[in-house]
Amino acid sequence: MAAEMMSSRRFFYVKPRSMLIVLLLLTAILAAAPSWLSAGTLRQISEFLFVFAMAESWNLLAGFVGLISLGHQGFVGIGAYSLFMIANASGISPHFAMLFALVISALAAAAIAPFLFRLRDAYFSIAIWVVAEIARTATAKSHWLGSSIGVVLEATRHMDRTWLAIGIYWWAVGIGIGSIALLFLLVRSRLGLALMAVRDNDLTAASVGIDVGRARFIAFVLSGALCGIAGAGYSMLSYHIDPNGAYDGNWVVVMLFITIIGGIGTIEGPIIGTAIYFGLREEMGDIGNWYLILMGSVAVIAMIAMRRGIWGTLTRKFAFELFSVRRLPPL
Amino acid sequence: MTVLQTIINGLFLGALYGLFGLGLAFAFGIMRIVNVAQGEFMVLATYIGLMLMPWLPVHPLVLIIPVALIAFGFGYAVQGSILNRVLDKDPMPSLLITFGISIVLRNLMVQVWSADFRSINIGKLKFMGFDVLGLRIGLLPLVIFGTVILLFVALYLLMTQTRFGRLIRATADDYETIQFFGVDYRRVYCVAMGISAALSAAAGMLIAMRSAFNPFSGVDRLLISFEVVIIGGLGSLWGMIVGGMVLGVAQLVSLQYDPNAGLMYAHIVFFLILMVMPSGISAWRRR
Amino acid sequence: MPLLEVDNLQVFYGDFQALFGVSVKVDKGETVSIIGANGAGKSTLLRAITGINREKTGRIQFDSADITAMRAHLIARCGISIVPEGRRLFPSLSVEDNLLTGTATARAGEWTLDKVYDLFPMLRAIRAHPSARISGGQQQMVAIGRALLANPLLLLCDELSLGLAPKVINDIYAQFDHIRERGVSILLVEQDVMRAIAASDRIYCFLEGRVSLQGIAKNFGVDEISRAYFGT
Repeated sequence: MAAEMMSSRRFFYVKPRSMLIVLLLLTAILAAAPSWLSAGTLRQISEFLFVFAMAESWNLLAGFVGLISLGHQGFVGIGAYSLFMIANASGISPHFAMLFALVISALAAAAIAPFLFRLRDAYFSIAIWVVAEIARTATAKSHWLGSSIGVVLEATRHMDRTWLAIGIYWWAVGIGIGSIALLFLLVRSRLGLALMAVRDNDLTAASVGIDVGRARFIAFVLSGALCGIAGAGYSMLSYHIDPNGAYDGNWVVVMLFITIIGGIGTIEGPIIGTAIYFGLREEMGDIGNWYLILMGSVAVIAMIAMRRGIWGTLTRKFAFELFSVRRLPPL
Repeated sequence: MTVLQTIINGLFLGALYGLFGLGLAFAFGIMRIVNVAQGEFMVLATYIGLMLMPWLPVHPLVLIIPVALIAFGFGYAVQGSILNRVLDKDPMPSLLITFGISIVLRNLMVQVWSADFRSINIGKLKFMGFDVLGLRIGLLPLVIFGTVILLFVALYLLMTQTRFGRLIRATADDYETIQFFGVDYRRVYCVAMGISAALSAAAGMLIAMRSAFNPFSGVDRLLISFEVVIIGGLGSLWGMIVGGMVLGVAQLVSLQYDPNAGLMYAHIVFFLILMVMPSGISAWRRR
Repeated sequence: MPLLEVDNLQVFYGDFQALFGVSVKVDKGETVSIIGANGAGKSTLLRAITGINREKTGRIQFDSADITAMRAHLIARCGISIVPEGRRLFPSLSVEDNLLTGTATARAGEWTLDKVYDLFPMLRAIRAHPSARISGGQQQMVAIGRALLANPLLLLCDELSLGLAPKVINDIYAQFDHIRERGVSILLVEQDVMRAIAASDRIYCFLEGRVSLQGIAKNFGVDEISRAYFGT
């Protein structure tokens, strides 16, 4: 790192304000897209953006806080079930119910955080998996929550299909771009600096006065909330959820794969990762489990050979960053 | 009487859960590696046991020996070829690697053996039992219990009475210094992972004699292993057994009242214990 | 042919350079000391020789073999053993078990558990004690005994006197003659200059990663050593 900074190569760096403007433009363009894109394409983009946001939420925790969550499917499930149950029970539009999914996911994260944070590293990772399992089995046993059969999004029955799809798409755009903005702003904030200090060495961070617990807590809640609302949005695409689908452990495999292959701790890495994930799914089609076996293998190989992921390795090699997570003045 | 009987069964099952935890704790204690693929090691070992059965016409309990040996080799190989490459202070890579391995193994097993449930046919042993003080003690749970205790004792003796056990403990204490005395700590790690895998294999075989399994059973096994280690505390053999028993009793008692719950109540009990006693049972005893 | 020959050694810790081309040699049967202030690079030299630190250039030759790039456990099996700074006993093991770990080098030689107990009789009484619970001086004896049980040709001692009472240090150094008689060559890193000179045939003085003085120990006066030590 030090050597690169001192090299004579110009370090390409995009100013934050410019980046936010680009994001806004992008949002505007994407939001206007329904006027020229087909429903099928909108749906694909929605799926892409929701999964991308989920991956960013995992990336937030893993890359910037240093916590690996093997139970993030719990937030996907909570988000999805909150959305469906509240929309069905209250009759409000699922689009408004999305906000409840956000809040409830955040509350769930806040509730379990104090206990999970008692455990370090790998023990935290597995403990959150236990919580997700409790949620899954409890949901499957709950008659009110539809047991194993699941829940259908009744509220959409009488809604116009086209506008529904567009509404979901707009949510996807907001959440997808929002996740980039969230991470970007977080990283450049005081909290973000505190988090990265904690990630690197929590004892030292505490000794310079950083409130380690508070920093981690906020990050965890943000991660859970983002994952929850993204999961809720995703579930709207199929109008039906069940415990094994919503709380599927394979969600973590997807989030992990996308983040690792893109580059843990980079904001833009998961964009590439998500693209590769969907590309592979297209190619491998319905060969059952093989894409899971591939993703698992990639995790192993990446940790041995290419820890920074594709994006991470590229940015290092060619000395440029788009969404810089460094707090440097431009050179 | 039924409650007492359930509790006794829970204690027997719990000791086996203690063995689950032992495999995980051993790898962590020696090498600071949390083997997320532990559950899949257990299940894979059981499938291997099933494959060997037609070729080795011995009692399944005896079959544990060749299966454990194969598992030892497998653990040795995984440590040597993959895990030894990521022995840095950062725990993230080994966690992600073992998670990746668990995904690969689980889905490979589905490809090879499908998702159907299987179990190990233990024959008449499953129904044999005897009465003591009005309680029915199943012979199978008792035999499993005996095997578990035997394995715990064997490991204890290996660690404390043998030259190699001494080397493993020294390596666990200080892998840098042990090199000064001619020991390649990487090879010691391979052996340690081999032992961990062998213990897991035995545990996997034993639990398969009690209940059915499929490639996805690894998740439950891992979570139990982990909960036992947390409840029982890392350094304590006794703690493993006690921790396992707490979960075993919790699970079987809850099944009486809620037959469809699976491991949910065991998980909940674990979480409650985590809330109340974050350092585990053995730390509480030391106070 | 010297037993140990270090030639133009440069050692790094990442981007930081600790040794700048030092050359040191130890002949068979000799006792050589390295003295110098904290941070001068003395322990770094030992870490490089034992193979724990592998970021080096230059050449290290031992018993006619080039051990520069060898892995630590193989170097130990060649016949170099070390009493590490801070003793570094294995806390889970008893005194006797700690001593016995030395035998893992599987080298032939005359050092046995009994011979070590003869050298340090006090250890016999505490052989079953957990090594973490014994005094600093006793720990130092165990560390030396452990290193001897590896049957080394060359014994490296890193800061033996650190943290120990003078009487205890005297007792330990008193045994050096016995060790030497058995044909073990010794390379000593020592903060206590007087003791180093008294115990050795030759000395090197390190200053900021370089050799500032070398030669026969008894030949140097206090002033000369002071200059080399502090660099004034």
